[in-house]
Amino acid sequence: MTYGGLRVIGAGVLAMLCAWAGARIYANWHSRSYAEIRVPAGLASVPSPSDIRADTALSQPPPQPPRIPDALPAFTLSNLQGQSTPISTWAGQSLVINFWATWCAPCRREIPLLNTLAGEWASKHVTVVGIAVDHRNEVLQFADQFKIHYPLLIGEQDALDAAAKLGVESPAFPFTVFTDRRGEVVALFVGELHRPQADLIMSTIQNIDNGALQLAQARRQIAEQLDALAEKT
Amino acid sequence: MRAHTTTNPCFRVILLMAATAIGFTAIPAESKPWWMRDTDSNETDFLPPDIAFRAGAGLDGQVVRIRWVIADGYYLYKEKIEVKAESPDLVLGTPVLPPGIMKTDPYLGRQEIYTQQVEARVPYSRSDFGAHPIQVKVTYQGCAEAGLCYPPITRVMFASAALPPPAVNRPHRWELIAIVGGMFAFLIAGFGLRRGRKLALPAQ
Repeated sequence: MTYGGLRVIGAGVLAMLCAWAGARIYANWHSRSYAEIRVPAGLASVPSPSDIRADTALSQPPPQPPRIPDALPAFTLSNLQGQSTPISTWAGQSLVINFWATWCAPCRREIPLLNTLAGEWASKHVTVVGIAVDHRNEVLQFADQFKIHYPLLIGEQDALDAAAKLGVESPAFPFTVFTDRRGEVVALFVGELHRPQADLIMSTIQNIDNGALQLAQARRQIAEQLDALAEKT
Repeated sequence: MRAHTTTNPCFRVILLMAATAIGFTAIPAESKPWWMRDTDSNETDFLPPDIAFRAGAGLDGQVVRIRWVIADGYYLYKEKIEVKAESPDLVLGTPVLPPGIMKTDPYLGRQEIYTQQVEARVPYSRSDFGAHPIQVKVTYQGCAEAGLCYPPITRVMFASAALPPPAVNRPHRWELIAIVGGMFAFLIAGFGLRRGRKLALPAQ
């Protein structure tokens, strides 16, 4: 091999070494920027998956979207007075069924909005129903303290069973199910509901109730518009 | 006077190689968030609890260490962390947790939370002379900043293998050597390539 060729190879190897050093400098700088996040003392580093024996989490399959039924399934839960109340009590009305728990901060934050929606949409045959998946006594105390104006149902395993019937097998809270007047499940919104999303879904449901939209169209429209909203924010 | 301005082809090759190598090694592949379109629910915007809060247990002398790696945008409540003995003849002391971050929620008050990662150290004693594997029942609860809370999660964990020490933000000795070596290598490469080359002076 010629001297020139050796020089090129040598320079190439050295350049790779430089690149590696550069990468390490970058990685070091990058981890320092994460370290500015306030974390417990002595643990100021980017968590690495290799830090733990990930014998459970990483081997799990990716989450699958829930299978939402077309029609609102039948279920019965206790109301605040302890009476068994089937969800069909509100048949013929569009429903906003909010699953929540007292220990859940976003659930608590949603309550003023749900109170407002219950008042604003009552004249349009829309009812908000809260389903507390929690201990009865805590819900009673909480409902009194927070002045919830819409009907509440309470349950533990039976409320989880109702959630499962709606396609939410392992619920996290809050989540809200929207139905039209015919009892078709139009949307399932997981997480804290905000005014723009609520308005969007409920106005679409009004279009179904008026006969301007079919269920499939409405579901697609809601999904697209929620995507657009999420991108904006 | 006209200087020799043609770029050395070798130097261009090196620059290209270096840029490519840096590009491949320094910039991590961005993983896309869970966002499955054409579904009727936005549930897949959120991580499943076992992915949002990855937990593992190990032993360090007479201490059980339980570590959580918490996904970005998620947090664990300090007061909801509980560790109980699961195997017979195992006695656990009080879990020692580092101070967390104070989070003030107008509807839930002040709460101490953990983000990124956290480790609980639980002293233990056993009277079975190692007859049973050390098993602990760990309960924890957390939420997503985007507005979703998971119910308390309870997991039974084996604490048989030692966890690696917590990562600290200190460059490894070899990392420093590589950085300094890389700088020298770059300098030497530059000298080597320029060696023997002469400035082409214009004819008088």
